[in-house]
Amino acid sequence: MDAFDPITLEVYWSRLISIADEAATGLLRTAFSTIVRESNDFATVLMDAKGDSISENTGGIASFSCILPKTTKHFLKRFPIETWQPGDCVITNDPFLATGHLPDFTAVSPIFHKGKIVGFAGSIAHSPDVGGALWSADCRELFEEGIRIPPSRLFRAGQRNEDLVELLSANVRIPGPVMGDLEAQVVANEVAVRRLAEFLEDTGLDDLQALSDALQIRADQAMRRAIAEVPDGTYRATIEADGFDEQVTRIVCAVTVSGETMHIDFAGTSPQIDRGINCVLNYTHAYSVYPVKCALDPFTPRNEGSYQAITVAAPEGSILNPRFPAPCSARQLTGHLLAGAIYKALADVLPDKVLAECGGAPTMRALFSGMDQNGDRFSQVLFASGGMGASPHRDGLPTTAFPTNVGAGSIEAYESVAPLLVWRKQLRPDSGGAGRFRGGLGQEAEIEVRTPAAVRLSLLSDRRDHPAEGLLGGGPGAPAVIAIDDGTRPHPKSRTSVETGRRVTLLYPGGGGFGDPKQRDPEAVRADIRDGYITEEAAMRDYGVKA
Amino acid sequence: MSGTARIGVDVGGTFTDFVLHDPARKLVATGKRLTTPDDPSEAIIAGTMRLLEETGLTTADLHSIVHGTTLVTNTIIERTGATVGLLTTAGFRDVIEIGRETRYDLYDLYLEAPPTLVPRHRRLEIPERIDVHGTTLLPLDEDAVRAAVTRLVTEEKIEALAIAFMHAYHDDRHEVRAGAIVAEMYPDLPLSLSSRVAPEIREFERTSTACANAYVQPLMRRYLDKLEADLAALGFVGRLHVMLSGGGIAAVRDAKEFPIRLIESGPAAGAMAASFLARLTGENHVVSFDMGGTTAKMCLVEDAAPDRKFDFEAGRVRRFQKGSGLPLKVTVVDMIEIGAGGGSIARVDAASGLMKVGPRSAGAKPGPICYGRGGTEPTVTDGDLVLGRLDPKYFLGGEMALDPNAVQRAIENGIAKGLKVERDMAALGIRRIVDETMAAATRMHLAEKGRDPRRYTLIAFGGAGPVHSYDLARLLKMKRMLVPLGAGVASALGFLVAPPATDLVRSHVGRLERMDWAHVNGLLAQMAEEGRQLLLETGADPASITTLPAADMRHVGQGFEIPVKLPSMSLNEADLPAIRESFFASYAERFGRALTELPIEALSWRVACLAPGRDIQLAEVANTVTESFTDAAKAARGVREALFEGIGWLPCQVYDRYALAPGARFQGPALVEERESTCVIGPDAQVSVDRFRNLVVELP
Repeated sequence: MDAFDPITLEVYWSRLISIADEAATGLLRTAFSTIVRESNDFATVLMDAKGDSISENTGGIASFSCILPKTTKHFLKRFPIETWQPGDCVITNDPFLATGHLPDFTAVSPIFHKGKIVGFAGSIAHSPDVGGALWSADCRELFEEGIRIPPSRLFRAGQRNEDLVELLSANVRIPGPVMGDLEAQVVANEVAVRRLAEFLEDTGLDDLQALSDALQIRADQAMRRAIAEVPDGTYRATIEADGFDEQVTRIVCAVTVSGETMHIDFAGTSPQIDRGINCVLNYTHAYSVYPVKCALDPFTPRNEGSYQAITVAAPEGSILNPRFPAPCSARQLTGHLLAGAIYKALADVLPDKVLAECGGAPTMRALFSGMDQNGDRFSQVLFASGGMGASPHRDGLPTTAFPTNVGAGSIEAYESVAPLLVWRKQLRPDSGGAGRFRGGLGQEAEIEVRTPAAVRLSLLSDRRDHPAEGLLGGGPGAPAVIAIDDGTRPHPKSRTSVETGRRVTLLYPGGGGFGDPKQRDPEAVRADIRDGYITEEAAMRDYGVKA
Repeated sequence: MSGTARIGVDVGGTFTDFVLHDPARKLVATGKRLTTPDDPSEAIIAGTMRLLEETGLTTADLHSIVHGTTLVTNTIIERTGATVGLLTTAGFRDVIEIGRETRYDLYDLYLEAPPTLVPRHRRLEIPERIDVHGTTLLPLDEDAVRAAVTRLVTEEKIEALAIAFMHAYHDDRHEVRAGAIVAEMYPDLPLSLSSRVAPEIREFERTSTACANAYVQPLMRRYLDKLEADLAALGFVGRLHVMLSGGGIAAVRDAKEFPIRLIESGPAAGAMAASFLARLTGENHVVSFDMGGTTAKMCLVEDAAPDRKFDFEAGRVRRFQKGSGLPLKVTVVDMIEIGAGGGSIARVDAASGLMKVGPRSAGAKPGPICYGRGGTEPTVTDGDLVLGRLDPKYFLGGEMALDPNAVQRAIENGIAKGLKVERDMAALGIRRIVDETMAAATRMHLAEKGRDPRRYTLIAFGGAGPVHSYDLARLLKMKRMLVPLGAGVASALGFLVAPPATDLVRSHVGRLERMDWAHVNGLLAQMAEEGRQLLLETGADPASITTLPAADMRHVGQGFEIPVKLPSMSLNEADLPAIRESFFASYAERFGRALTELPIEALSWRVACLAPGRDIQLAEVANTVTESFTDAAKAARGVREALFEGIGWLPCQVYDRYALAPGARFQGPALVEERESTCVIGPDAQVSVDRFRNLVVELP
């Protein structure tokens, strides 16, 4: 670590982060995948020759950056380091080696300097399609969920592997955009490879190892110092979510703090299930360490060192560590819950560093697909989020997702690409959990089908029976409601046909409240009434305040 | 009109700056007054009178006054605008509150959302609906409009109204009708229709822009009316122009209707000045670099025109954090602004044990420690002082004596000890980190446009710009930099050289192969005519007006558009191959590849109208100089040691900038001092003074 003074280290670290950001920019702006674009479902990471991360892009999905090095290490087992050549690019979408479901492709390219490998550039992006059962959590096995590409060379010494391209193209619905996005990942890696070579030239470094070690030590120490400030002990919480049909998901979490290390154990959690909401261990790990990072050490840049002090365990065969070939396409419906469980466990000991449960965890997604009036196929996700949980510092943000980060597209743009009409998309009054600080409001959307043929509605949602819980006396947010105006309730994790002229109503859940509602400033309650965030009845019932 | 003199006025937050130029009398003069925030026209009038007095001119000698202002942007940042009401389509009153739903910082659990300009209780819904094709699904409920406006005016006491209905970018009938009803009921109520302010698809951005326009409209109207009246009272009969955010000048009427277009009026002037210098010196590939006390701004200038973009984020909760502000659909000069300036504060980060510089700034008050006005935290300027780059005795031309001892103590105790490094290393570290931050931002900005900084020339100005430009150029591997004389004046020149220009836009979405070209041509013609009228109001020669058509396009299925030039103002099927080629070329330039197999769609159509700008002879600008020499040695005024990274302390020749005449040459290391700044030149650089008195620095 003494090889670099603290100024040089800061200068190099910033530069490495900006290289990862530059690689990410083109990827985001050219993506065909709406999930990449609206949901930031992508990441770019720079790694050393061992596959340990050195820096990651600023705006991507935090969990991805944490997983990419693990996948790279699997690649190195399959393709030993001496077999890599400049211009190679290895890809996979294997859920168990990578990010937990088939739609995400991981692509990794080697970085050569002075004739030897000094590191790797990697990217992950959610593909527009991987075949299989589109947008559903009801598959019984992984094999139904789409094509699975084991670690394979998409490029070998700069030559594209046409056999692989044909195989993949033959198994997806829209090969053009799928290949377009994969190539964008390769381009992103190339940008990073080029910039890293320039960086080594500029700095005169022979390789990245000493620098990587020094940066990891900094990140590791920052996290250890933060954990050391948490009183030792084991903190426990249990939360529940709807799960699939009668099988409720139960997350049992024990957070043990001991000196400067933390262990998160999910023993007692629900067993794996033969539906697509299993969450592989990579994803479980990533969505456990991310909320801890936010709570304890939010502003130190991330790399492999950031999470050395935290261990995560889940019993094999549980919904948080399923065995192959468990279906897992909607693993976010389980993984997004972990932040709420961990914060609930830590709430008593760290009340000012946590959040109540979020209405947007897990995300609620509705995909409409079918034929439009011209006979063209369309397939559009309505991106919208529930409300964030409240904290001891402020009310929860309305319509904002945590722990993931989902954007919302324009309704006008949405209506221009799909034969759907959105009659309203507005805040949902009384949906934020009551509390000294109120949970963030969810929203309500009403969508009419305007094409002659029936369309398919694919839903991935939870929180119908298990709203976001409040913390330390705060009340729960409003639950999710999905209804069709023929009086039916579509399956929340499956596919339904919706006839022309029918309207679908989606009520997105609110966030949980924080602290005793009776302690809320009556003026804040009255302001909420005036703006219609809460009704007069709710003000009286929950807060005892008259308008 | 007989007047020949023109005045540029920049109304800033603290100072109002003036520059007068009279080509007939070969005259240039500058002035400065404290801004009068309650009535900005007061300072303008006083400053104008003073300038006229000093130059012996009268108001009759004035051809025109061009002015820019930070009033609009400050009103939004400080949230001191009008009480605004908003009418929306039923079901959509929360569009501006729901926003894009993203968290701009992934790790901050308690981040703050930018407060809306119109709170929910002043956003009322009107039953009406026109669909994406222009079909009326629900007629406008006119009684509901009357009731809503009555309520907003009588109960909520609104001072301005915005109306934003769904798909109004495409079909404005309901907005126009609702507007007419309101105008009939309350003729004096300022009104902003989204279909007029920002006729572009995407309801959040369009509504946000209409609300922001309404929010600043009453204030700007009052201000511009007053200014016009005050100038008229002085006997001014010339034209009063305003600088738009895109770098063009426009008539006052336009500014009263669309004041939001002035949001980046001040910064645009700097970019126009850099463009002007680029044209004079024949530099076609330029990065302009303006570093002041709080921020650094970088802008790409190609073929003597600044790069522009069509959206902007105003009033950020976290100043330099993308996503933390209000999105606006306005044409602005495409600049990156980062929190790196002379006042940026250096500190040791407790979590990582590393040094950080900025974005927090000591600003003008208390300012850097060396100013001796109570600053206690070491800043970039303090670091530059320790490095020998600034002369403690000649700061601001000697008006301000800097205190090196206090600075050295603070850097020793505040930084060096925490990092366990030598004091000089700590000072050098401040410079390295701030320069690296600026280099990273510049690299990223250029990379987004597919540009390689090595091919560019750096034009540096602002008080701290020339102090840091040599190192920035080196980090970016640029071969040349250019430093104009008079860092303060350089930016104000932009007002006098900016061309009359305007940008218009209309959205019409469709795939290229299915496009209704007759409709598109109608939109282009309509915009060209509207733009022409606006330019004529500025006094532009009708024969000199050019129109440049463009469209925002993308592949079907993507979410981000890129600007694409169109071959003509009248398009048809036969132009398809040329349009596609133009798209592929722009795409490949940005993203390094082209996907020729996939279909293309256009979303918005644009027409830029432009009349020629004016030239200024820079020799006239420099005519305040008394004596100068082509032999650089005669401009030397001693030697000072400065610390260079990787080399150590080097004795540098110090030059008096004002004594360097065109043709002078010298070799680094050198420090060239002028009143507002010092230009640092490393040992490997060659310097010459060109005929416009720019320092031209060649790097190896």
